Amino acid sequence: MGSKSSSLNKIPNAQELMQETGFSAAHILRLYERFEFLDVDQMGELRPEDFGAIRELSMNPIGDRIISAFFSPGKETVDFASFVRILAHFRSTETNRTRDGAQPEPANSRTRKLKFAFQLYDQDRDGKISREELLQVLRTMMEMQVTEEQLQSIAERAIQEADLDQDDAISFDEFRKSMEKVDIDHKMSIRFLS
Amino acid sequence: MAELRLARRSSSLPLTGLMGVVLLVFVFVASASRDVVSENNKTWRDPAGETRGDSHHQTNSTAHKKAFPVLSFNYEHVKKPFEISLWILLALLMKLGFHIIPGVQNIVPESCLLIGVGLLVGGIIKAIGGEAPVLDTKLFFLYLLPPIILDAGYFLPIRPFTENMGTILVFAVVGTLWNTFFIGGMIFAVCRLEGGQLAGVDPLSCLLFGTIVSAVDPVAVLAVFEEIHINELLHILVFGESLLNDAVTVVLYHLFEEFTHEGTVTVVDAVLGVVCFFVVSLGGILVGAIYGVLGAFTSRFTSHTRVIEPLFVFLYSYMAYLSAEVFHLSGIMSLIACGVVMRPYVEANVSHKSYTTIKYFLKMWSSVSETLIFIFLGVSTVAGPHAWNWTFVIVTVVLCLVSRVLGVIGLTYIINKFRIVKLTKKDQFIVAYGGLRGAIAFSLGFLLTNSKMKNMFLTAIITVIFFTVIVQGMTIRPLVELLAVKKKKESKRSINEEIHTQFLDHLLTGIEDICGHYGHHHWKDKLNRFNKAYVKKWLIAGERSTEPQLISFYNKMEMKQAMMLVESGSAAKLPTIVSSVSMQNIQPRGPARHRAIPSISKSREQEIRKILRANLQKTRQRLRSYSRHDLMIDPFEDNVSEVRFRRQRVEMERRMSHYLTVPANRQETPPVRKVCFESEHKVYTYDDSKSPLGRTAEPDPSPPDAVSLLNESSQRANQSSEHRAKRNDELRAKVPDEKEEQDQLKLSRCLSDPGPNKEEDLS
Repeated sequence: MGSKSSSLNKIPNAQELMQETGFSAAHILRLYERFEFLDVDQMGELRPEDFGAIRELSMNPIGDRIISAFFSPGKETVDFASFVRILAHFRSTETNRTRDGAQPEPANSRTRKLKFAFQLYDQDRDGKISREELLQVLRTMMEMQVTEEQLQSIAERAIQEADLDQDDAISFDEFRKSMEKVDIDHKMSIRFLS
Repeated sequence: MAELRLARRSSSLPLTGLMGVVLLVFVFVASASRDVVSENNKTWRDPAGETRGDSHHQTNSTAHKKAFPVLSFNYEHVKKPFEISLWILLALLMKLGFHIIPGVQNIVPESCLLIGVGLLVGGIIKAIGGEAPVLDTKLFFLYLLPPIILDAGYFLPIRPFTENMGTILVFAVVGTLWNTFFIGGMIFAVCRLEGGQLAGVDPLSCLLFGTIVSAVDPVAVLAVFEEIHINELLHILVFGESLLNDAVTVVLYHLFEEFTHEGTVTVVDAVLGVVCFFVVSLGGILVGAIYGVLGAFTSRFTSHTRVIEPLFVFLYSYMAYLSAEVFHLSGIMSLIACGVVMRPYVEANVSHKSYTTIKYFLKMWSSVSETLIFIFLGVSTVAGPHAWNWTFVIVTVVLCLVSRVLGVIGLTYIINKFRIVKLTKKDQFIVAYGGLRGAIAFSLGFLLTNSKMKNMFLTAIITVIFFTVIVQGMTIRPLVELLAVKKKKESKRSINEEIHTQFLDHLLTGIEDICGHYGHHHWKDKLNRFNKAYVKKWLIAGERSTEPQLISFYNKMEMKQAMMLVESGSAAKLPTIVSSVSMQNIQPRGPARHRAIPSISKSREQEIRKILRANLQKTRQRLRSYSRHDLMIDPFEDNVSEVRFRRQRVEMERRMSHYLTVPANRQETPPVRKVCFESEHKVYTYDDSKSPLGRTAEPDPSPPDAVSLLNESSQRANQSSEHRAKRNDELRAKVPDEKEEQDQLKLSRCLSDPGPNKEEDLS
């Protein structure tokens, strides 16, 4: 225990982070180790190239989207606090017991999780997933194995199913509604982080 | 359809149903008694037969020639098949009877009723003095059990199963071990305390007994859980446990049986037991996987002999089971592994008809098996030798319950530390309460060598089975209602869910990679890549091997919808046509096909649907004869008749608009257990490049048409988006008639669709 608290002192704002995200000290430490591992030039910040160095991530069809999700719009680097905050989305919802009403909605609530996923689709951040954005996602996921017409018809059908206000795009509420049958708590949680 | 008819006649049916049931019972008993009589009077009959035979041969030696027997009676000849068929027929008629009699279904689960019938029949047979057939162990394990397990394994929902694999394994292995030792130990203690009759029971026999009685039975669980429609998680937990505990049961059973002969147990034996467990379970899975791969590989080449495709599935699976049993490996796990491994590749390879056949046959066989098992259970109860010992039996029942509850609670406490979605108290209760024992326990008990304890054990086992199946089976439904346990969501997956779920899978894999954590998603992703890169190429024929999952899902959905529209449209007008959806024989042709069709936008889909509908209906009526070796219908015999086409289209539109205003969410089959499966029919467009009429020239007109159609469709899309209120209304969008006709004709040429028939059946 002693070593842990002394290591925690290395991490800036460790206690605040723990409060805000709900991670335990052990988790924060683990994440810090990982952060340092990724941060090859030891600048205390991560750049897109650092993420790119992860081999499996480069094979992931939406890898670059995930990477860009870590970086707030305009910023080129990610510090540890932001890193942890993003990852806090993937904590399991169940472990959220000691929250009082005054604090803002925790990062790993269902809505926040969905919002995170939504933003990965919605690259231009206009609050809607347009047909073009959906097509882009489909294209990257299918990895060039389908024809354009097939993609069009799938996107068409998807929008048709989800789009309730007929604006030819999927807003966050519509997205949430179409996912209501999916167990988000389970699907978007990583055991490692719980 | 059948439901409607039944509903209309239901008022008179209960009575006729009951009468029919009673009549059947008597017919059956009469035949059994005739059999009894024939057994007793065999000596009487044979000489008669012989003399008749003799008299034939010795016509010249006897004085008067016997007349040629016009009608003779020779029951012995067909006795065995006759009896088997009669039993099966009785079982099925009982099942039918229960469904016809209204109200019974809701109170008493079918399994209880069947056991009741078995008891009745057994009682009658015994009263007559005949010999009732007993649930022969060989019969059970080799013939009755495999279909049920194969059905369960083939249609096992993989995603929830793998997601909860850890929990299921813990329950299956640790839970069963706990049950065995707890029950065995406590029974031994009780016997020691009780003394008297029970004093002679040795610890190993008790442990053996504990093994037999502690295993949760898949047949009983399936039978009861199917009817209560509980949510997927609980269903897969209890069911998965019942399947996987077979390995444990097999090992423990053989272990203790050996030990009872040996007499002494050493540490080495215990260690060997543990090793044996791993060998049995992993070996079983390996055997199953090998056969599964073989089956998938075979199905790759069956494109020319579609008729025997289902047989490959059944035979490979059965061989997997038997092969595992040869080596005393876990046959059940082998069967499950075979079905699971085989399924995705076989489904990609086989024709639509074969797929339906496989599905129906599996459901049919497992249904028959289950019915027979329960009836036999009832009959054997009456027939078998019993040694009732109040203490023993009651203690056994109580201990089963107690140990199950304790086991579940204890294990859940441990498991919840590792689960993301924890198991609540309600879940725990259902898991504990759903631990039903069934025929496997009975058969294993029967296998026991004839010790003096055997009868007592059997009686106790039967009592436990009856208690769990009848009492727990009957009360679980009201309890589920009372506790408001989540029910199964009956909805179909939408394409959005599919897309987003895949997206989330990728997302989670990426996050896991960022964290450096090799978790669930990481391995799943690796498996998928491996599957796509190597396995699919080998095991899936032709073009389908590179088809992404989303595309096949999308195709399935579209075709499902087209077929539903066809069915709802035609069913109203032509009730005489049996809605044999499987008659729509259109072969898969993969992505290449899609490039030949002009792009499938919404309005075009609509057109395609109409054409499909119009033509499918016609071809269905026309299917009169086909050769045994080639089930493909050849509809390219008539030319497109424009007038007919136009008339049909108008009718179709009218009918469709009528039907689509009514929310049409009809189930295709009545919600009978085991027959109620989601319509996962796959229908593919039929493109016979080997058509005799040489329609290979057809694809040429498509490019220019595609262009013009694209333009038109975008126009129409703009138009229709204006008055797009509901999806239903959209399909009634008014478009200029001539344009549509032209489109349709172009489309018909492009699609090389079969035209409608000369005969006008639509009135």
